[in-house]
Order: sequence, then structure tokens, then C-alpha cells
Amino acid sequence: MTRKFAGAVLAALAALAGLWLMIAPFALGTQPEGASWNSATVTEFVTGLGVTLTGLAGAVAFAAAIRADLAARGLVRVRERRREPEPAPAAPQPSSGELAALLAPLVEALREDLSASGREPRSNGSAPLGVGAEDGR
Amino acid sequence: MSARLGVTALALLFVTGLWLVAAPFVVGYQPRGAEFTAATVNDLWVGGALAGGSFLGLAGYAAAALRELTARGRQSAES
Repeated sequence: MTRKFAGAVLAALAALAGLWLMIAPFALGTQPEGASWNSATVTEFVTGLGVTLTGLAGAVAFAAAIRADLAARGLVRVRERRREPEPAPAAPQPSSGELAALLAPLVEALREDLSASGREPRSNGSAPLGVGAEDGR
Repeated sequence: MSARLGVTALALLFVTGLWLVAAPFVVGYQPRGAEFTAATVNDLWVGGALAGGSFLGLAGYAAAALRELTARGRQSAES
């Protein structure tokens, strides 16, 4: 455990050193402003980038190893990823036959209503529009 | 697995530190016989620290692993 911790600290320090390497040419003034990068700047910047990435990867790897160690000893509870509940199956749609059976009484009532209104005069109390208008004058 | 990756990173950092120490002379931005430039001094310090630190880390890791192996061997011999 201690060796992994020391490794993580060393890798993190190396990542910081890499960051310093990337900015050193500008901080120390060895790279003139506005001019194209000289060989020293390119070397330091590229090496610094590599050191930063390697240091970060090492720190993350050692941290993961420490976590696995702690989990193996039971000091850290490893959370299991929650599975998202599967969506409930949609209610079965009524088939066209069932729909026709459902609507049959309604259709029948409408048909009866229409045929009845065709035989009898309207009895809703309203007079035909043309007749009433003529009488009022 | 993760620890092995970390050890690999330390080994890479050691090699990079050595490269940084050699870079001013290999790339040629440190003229021969002249006084060290600021870039060279910086590279020597950072490279030396990087190589030394990662070497110490690797050596410590190996020593701890050996100690653990020895302890396990002693335990199995006693039981």
C-alpha cells in the first residue's frame, strides 16, 4: 500500500515538473517573444507534454491500485452500477376487430337516431328561419 | 494491473529524465565549451530530479515487493 502511495505521489510530482517544462522557455526568457520557437523551446515543450501525460497516467494507475487494495480489504465499499429499469411493455393496442365490436353499439344508436330524424319533423322548438322572419315584418 | 501500469509510467519517466539531461547536447542548443545557458541549466535540474525521483520510486517499489515476497515465504515455511 505504501509503495503504491509513494508511486502516486512521485507520478503527480512528475506531472507538475512536466507542466513546468512546458512553460519554462517563456518563464525563463530563453524563447524570444513573437519569434518562431527555437530548438530548445520545442524540445522542452514536447518533453514536458510527454512527462505531464505520463505522470498523470501513472498517478491515476497508482490511485486505482490503491482503491482496489482498499476494496479487497473491505475498507472501501465498491458501488455497483445501478441498472436502469427496463421500460414497462406498452399496453396492448386493441385490434381493429375489438375496436369495431366496441364501436358497434354507438354506430347502431347513431343509425337509429338518423333514421328517426328522417321520418319525424324536428321537435326542438325552433321554427324555420324564413317563416319567422317574414312574420315579424 | 493498475500498479503495473504505474510502474511502467515510472520507468518511462526515468528514461525521460535521462533524455532531458542529454537533450541540450544532443539537440545542440548548448554550444560546446560555452557557459551553460538558462535552458540547459533548467533541463539538467529538471531531468536530474525526474530521473533520480523515478529511480528512487522504482527501487523502493521493488524493495517493498521483495520484502512482501520474503514475508510470504516465511509464513508458508512456518505453516
